[in-house]
Amino acid sequence: MLKFSSCNVLQCRFSGSNSPLSFGRCSPRIVSTSRLSMTPVQAVLSYHQQGGSTGSGSLADRLRWGGLTEDGLSYKEKFIIRCYEVGINKTATIVTIANFLQELGGNHAQSVGFSTDGFGTTPTMRKLHIIWVTARMHIEVYKYPAWSDMIEIETWCQNEGRIGTRRDWILKDVATGEVIGRATSKWVMMNKDTRQLQKVSDDVKEEYLVFCPREPRLAFPEKNSKSLKKIAKLVDPVQYSRLGLKPRRADIDMNQHVNNVTYIGWVLESIPEEIIHTHELQAITLDYRRECQQDDVVDSLTSPELVEATETVSVLQGTNGFATVATREDQPDCHQFLHLLRFSGDGQEINRGRTEWRKKPTR
Amino acid sequence: MVATAATSTFFPVISSPDSSGSKTKKLGNGSINLGGIPSKPSSSGRLQVKANAQAPPKINGTNVVTAPVEVSKNEDGVNSPPPRTVINQLPDWSMLLAAITTVFLAAEKQWTTLDWKPKRPDMLIDPFGIGRIVQDGLAFRQNFSIRSYEIGADRTASIETVMNHLQETALNHVRSAGMLGDGFGSTPEMFKKNLIWVVTRMQVEVDRYPTWGDVVQVDTWVSASGKNCMRRDWVIRDSKTGEILTRASSIWVMMNKVTRRLSKIPEEVRGEIEPYFMNSEPVVAEDSRKLVKLDDSSAKYVRKGLTPRWSDLDVNQHVNNVKYIGWILESAPLPILESHELSSVTLEYRRECGRDSVLQSLTAVSDHGAGNSMNLGEMECQHLLRLEDGSEVLRGRTRWRAKKPESSGDVAQIPPESA
Repeated sequence: MLKFSSCNVLQCRFSGSNSPLSFGRCSPRIVSTSRLSMTPVQAVLSYHQQGGSTGSGSLADRLRWGGLTEDGLSYKEKFIIRCYEVGINKTATIVTIANFLQELGGNHAQSVGFSTDGFGTTPTMRKLHIIWVTARMHIEVYKYPAWSDMIEIETWCQNEGRIGTRRDWILKDVATGEVIGRATSKWVMMNKDTRQLQKVSDDVKEEYLVFCPREPRLAFPEKNSKSLKKIAKLVDPVQYSRLGLKPRRADIDMNQHVNNVTYIGWVLESIPEEIIHTHELQAITLDYRRECQQDDVVDSLTSPELVEATETVSVLQGTNGFATVATREDQPDCHQFLHLLRFSGDGQEINRGRTEWRKKPTR
Repeated sequence: MVATAATSTFFPVISSPDSSGSKTKKLGNGSINLGGIPSKPSSSGRLQVKANAQAPPKINGTNVVTAPVEVSKNEDGVNSPPPRTVINQLPDWSMLLAAITTVFLAAEKQWTTLDWKPKRPDMLIDPFGIGRIVQDGLAFRQNFSIRSYEIGADRTASIETVMNHLQETALNHVRSAGMLGDGFGSTPEMFKKNLIWVVTRMQVEVDRYPTWGDVVQVDTWVSASGKNCMRRDWVIRDSKTGEILTRASSIWVMMNKVTRRLSKIPEEVRGEIEPYFMNSEPVVAEDSRKLVKLDDSSAKYVRKGLTPRWSDLDVNQHVNNVKYIGWILESAPLPILESHELSSVTLEYRRECGRDSVLQSLTAVSDHGAGNSMNLGEMECQHLLRLEDGSEVLRGRTRWRAKKPESSGDVAQIPPESA
């Protein structure tokens, strides 16, 4: 614990005094890192504190309607769907939702005092030039919100194995309280300069684990959750493709590579149009393998996934007939696809994915 | 004026979220709270629209958005003697909605009488962040916090983010002022005549770009522009300091959506919209220099094969206007992008495009000393977006100023084109 006093994370100390005013003017983003459980009143106050002139943090935090939960172990934020975030279905697009998830991850990291520059890195990571990169992303949406709906998303992170960390999200409709979506992601550390993966060192683990729930808390607690399903790699010939996709300038993020969320858009590009018009995305899983830079050119490939008892590769060989898109027996109007994004030039895999589609609800 | 002008999304082209189907759904799911401010402010926002669709707006000190106050909230489906025909035309459940509107508006009325003051925590007045009518009902104000994915590689909000905020506030203004007759942003009279608003011209001047976590306050209002056009202005301020970050102005014309021909503003429509006109001076001095049409010989920088993605499309499957500025920048020379920031952009919309369009983006760098007063380090570019068959989608002009010294790099020297 002594380690923390040297880092900029610790600025307010919860002295245990009964007077909530005793911590004076702290930025609401900074939270005590003591392992002793914080009294809920003090934790809540640290979020609501006016903060005054300590920068735009306080006003921005209130406007974000986001903050750490009472136990400090997860972060919640509300979003109102804006008109330009709505797509052809008159509901928020999966790209919008993925952006929210990413935003929340960054805000959570910032609210516990990590990297005020938006990278979500701990102080030790910054010292060692290490950044987080996504390894896998799985999102399920049960009900898409419409323009000006308000949703609340909660996120938390946990250790995952030796080299990874996991971040989970739960999305709720504020008006009804119902869960409208869930998501989980796996992250690994990479050296910014060498672009090599690194194990999560103990120093870094200590820095962030204090903010994670002690007991495993999973957005997808069920066994055999789709979020754990292995994704087969597509091989030629594939059924659908969209070639020559190029990153736009807006796709490059602060880490100087193509933003995670852009890949979701690219995967959608090779889904057959009739599916896009009649169905909505129920679940998407992406395994990230390589990163993409501004000048790369990408091919997006899709094939229907055959629903078999075994987990073998599902590929439509030859010309089986376009009409026989695979469907699950229990859900006749659902479709599943496998995806591959690869470099146009050398064919190396960028990421692979899997999507599930259900018939659009009538509105 | 080209007959096929770009369909706007600054005024909503999305089918109305207030369509009766969705409203019924909201009633079913939403927790309508008669006792106080509805817990779902968005549905009350919609309620405002329908209840006021025909109500003549009042100005001069009173809130424009007036609810039919004759309605008692304890009566179910029984019409109190209604002097306004609007009540008779609405279906029965509108009584409930009107009651809620009254409650919400009464609360909001207290908020709208407060003027913006520096360093005031404005947010407390707009707890739901959906914005509100200000200034005697003629302007609309909404706050936005800048999200991480709205930031460009240089850590400041992108011009697309700025323009998205302009679009959202325009839409919310229209809706909350009761001007939303249908999904095309038409008033009820316009809808009857198949008329829609179409944006033809846009000018944005950015003094400073916000960064992640900043909160900006966007004010917007409309004015008449000539005899048959409308102008919508915006001012974006830093929420905390009041410093003006951006000013923008746009010109709209009326078009018949069936014949695609431009139309004069009919008297009935004029009666509906004139009360909303602020008729102030434009916030951006009009850049009246002609926008030239580039071609392959005059444009040094060309980017071809630009295609819309699914997330670029609005509910009418047209490309959202704001995407065009991103495409323009695709062919802007990289040295300029790296060392300069966009200080102003002027756009002329010519044509809309859809999912299957393939676009080309052309850029030429203007001569510095073209007669207009530009400071040292400023650059100017001309732009064209066109389809593969050559038809124009958009013409533009951008001005760039050198970025502040903290970012790396010297000011790039781009040899000016001969126009």
